[in-house]
Amino acid sequence: MSELSRPYGGYAGRILRVDLSSGRVSTQDLPRDWARLFIGGSGLAARILWEEVGPGTDPLGPDNRLIVATGPVTGTAWHTSGRSVMVSKSPLTGIWAESHFGGHFGPELKYAGFDALVVSGRSPRPVYLWVHDGTAEIRDASDMWGMDTYETTAAVRDDVGYPAAKVLSIGPAGENLVKYAAVITNSHDAAGRTGMGAVMGSKKLKAVAVRGFGSVRVADPDRFYELALEARDRVLGSDQAMELRRYGTAMLVEVKQAIGELPTYNHRSGVFEGFETIGSHHIRKNYWVATKACFACSLACKKKNLVRGGEFRGLFSGGPEYEGLYAFGSNCGVDYFPAVLKMNWLCNRYGIDVISAGVSMSFLMELRERGIIGEDLLGGVDLRWGNHEAMIEALELIARREGVGDLLAEGVREMARRIGGEAERYAMHVKGLEISGQDGRTHRSAGLTHAVAARGADHMRGLVTVDQLAYRDVAAERFGEDKADRVVDGYSEDYKALAVKMHEDAYAVRDSLIVCWYSVGWPPLFWVDDFSRVLSAVTGEESWSDVGEVWLAGERIVNLKRAFNVREGITRRDDTLPERFTREPMPEGPGRGQVVDLERMLDEYYELRGWDLETGFPTRERLEELGLSDVAEELAGAGKLARGGGGS
Amino acid sequence: MPAVDRILVVDPERCTGCRICEAACSYQHYGEFNPRRSYITVLKRESDGLFVPMVCQHCAKPLCVEACPTGALYQYGSAVFLDKSKCIECRQCVNACPFGGVGIDPVTLQVVKCDLCGGDPQCARRCPTGAISYVRADLVGYRRKLEGAERLSRLTSLIVPSGGG
Repeated sequence: MSELSRPYGGYAGRILRVDLSSGRVSTQDLPRDWARLFIGGSGLAARILWEEVGPGTDPLGPDNRLIVATGPVTGTAWHTSGRSVMVSKSPLTGIWAESHFGGHFGPELKYAGFDALVVSGRSPRPVYLWVHDGTAEIRDASDMWGMDTYETTAAVRDDVGYPAAKVLSIGPAGENLVKYAAVITNSHDAAGRTGMGAVMGSKKLKAVAVRGFGSVRVADPDRFYELALEARDRVLGSDQAMELRRYGTAMLVEVKQAIGELPTYNHRSGVFEGFETIGSHHIRKNYWVATKACFACSLACKKKNLVRGGEFRGLFSGGPEYEGLYAFGSNCGVDYFPAVLKMNWLCNRYGIDVISAGVSMSFLMELRERGIIGEDLLGGVDLRWGNHEAMIEALELIARREGVGDLLAEGVREMARRIGGEAERYAMHVKGLEISGQDGRTHRSAGLTHAVAARGADHMRGLVTVDQLAYRDVAAERFGEDKADRVVDGYSEDYKALAVKMHEDAYAVRDSLIVCWYSVGWPPLFWVDDFSRVLSAVTGEESWSDVGEVWLAGERIVNLKRAFNVREGITRRDDTLPERFTREPMPEGPGRGQVVDLERMLDEYYELRGWDLETGFPTRERLEELGLSDVAEELAGAGKLARGGGGS
Repeated sequence: MPAVDRILVVDPERCTGCRICEAACSYQHYGEFNPRRSYITVLKRESDGLFVPMVCQHCAKPLCVEACPTGALYQYGSAVFLDKSKCIECRQCVNACPFGGVGIDPVTLQVVKCDLCGGDPQCARRCPTGAISYVRADLVGYRRKLEGAERLSRLTSLIVPSGGG
């Protein structure tokens, strides 16, 4: 491959563009200022989405974009440099959508010569994309339409004649525009949230396969390699990281039960009587077969499990992660691990987000229990707490959008709207995205994170762990000794706005490099000073060695996503929580009696962000300081820019 | 007593498929990150998700050396090396090796193989789980026995529960 005009080290230097309406494939040089301002990954994709997907765009129409992005660190040897992100406008929420995934796809895209892939338009017939060595072909996928993701992955590899091709694909759920359809890569890794699978389905794009023989070259290889080795040693030397390697994210089941934050019965409670049999020790002892890692990860959190007897005998599958265990387990009252594994496996095959699917089912279970819906609505599917047979049946119906599955496929916000009456009270979502496995009542910063995160009730963009898991020494380092005790108190609103803002900015950098949550968020082994060193060694851009510049980039990215949402009509009114968290005290467990005082945290958060207290709009001053003058200009034109010096 | 050579030992059971070995190998030899240029390749069996790192075995009776018409491939100690100055790129060695241990670099299209990084193989050094190690040949058997014993005792403990004493 010829030398490209790489803006900096680490980048492939090119963006691949595919328009499925016209069948046109083209490439674009990666603009140098985009790399400098938005780094890559989530930040780069935010810039592209801001420019190309205007307000009011139909998420399932041809004008929406589907972006797969990598960062400058992707495909290098730095710890967890195997991740990539899918970005679009969400069909589930109608606002900013991003969903990160692991595995090996991102590095392969870089080796094929691209930092990002941007898909526009809509194909008249099912197609898949074959990206290889600096170019791409749109190929017929008519025979694959209807296949699940495992079958599709195999069929695509067969068709391209390369068994090690890395494949992203959708199953029937994506084809049938299930609002929270997931994209699956290599069978077990999912870009689960915000309905990226439905966006692919709407474009008639069944899969993307990639193969690359190119290299990732960093600006200062020796210094970078030293940093990579040091990162690896830090991971291997961490007891918590090694515990995570042994048990996987399933260990959060026991951790959260202990702190009263294991969402149970549609987030009503934070403790689950049956937690032990969906917990990591039980799984490790009875089902674990193998441990695997994404590209370049020394931690290796992924588990493969085998069911050796009983109803699901012979089931062999990766996962589930903690979020699957909570969503299909405690949150629906299921304490039988093989059933949870089965549901997780079905979601991987059909391409469905486990969190949204689980919460949509727990929503109907609660409505039925309360008599808000009648049996007729369920169409014979006996959805009630703990009935895993009915849940499996429901998942099949969701994937095909049949019967009650057609309603469930809309997600809880739309379901509540259609059902009407009291239903909305029990619809556990923020901005249309179903709540993930946290509870603001026993983890106040999580409440604020859910309320303000750009994609809705999100646990990945701002979740503070120093309070949740009581890392007091880390809190003291980040916030100062004087604040540490208040910061780590999960039942107090004190300093939570500060903590969430700080973590959102740091994670925005993490999501743009791109590196993984595990070892940045939990355990907290790497932080922004590490990112600063890595960025300057990879890119050769000296200003990144100033850690303040890196913080600023994170804040810039958070503000750009906010601007995208504000342009779509989001205001402070949408930065909210289900009233279960703000009005209904935690009924039992260690956090009994706790509720969230969201408004206080929101006021503080807007002040720190420099956003308007009343509307939640960004201010011109702050956007200009962040180098987003053009964004400010456009928001002003739409009457969605606040005046004055921010929230004060 | 003669000095005992060290050999590369691969334990697929420990491999997580992270490909750090591939990244490290390509960095060591080319100063860039490119798994396709690595001399070690982690293969994945899709049926069961088992990973197997494949690399030159440095055979004691190497077929590649037999196949080489110019003596470019040769044994030294317990390792097999490639002298590029003698190589005519006929690729007989690539065909001869039953493990794919000799390969063709996708960039230069030349014959390449593991050179043990001059005595400190980076794949073994960087592997985070101990799936690849570079150990004294006479200890490999002993280590396997230890691991076997560990497995056996685990099995035994399933039949005869420990504890209570």
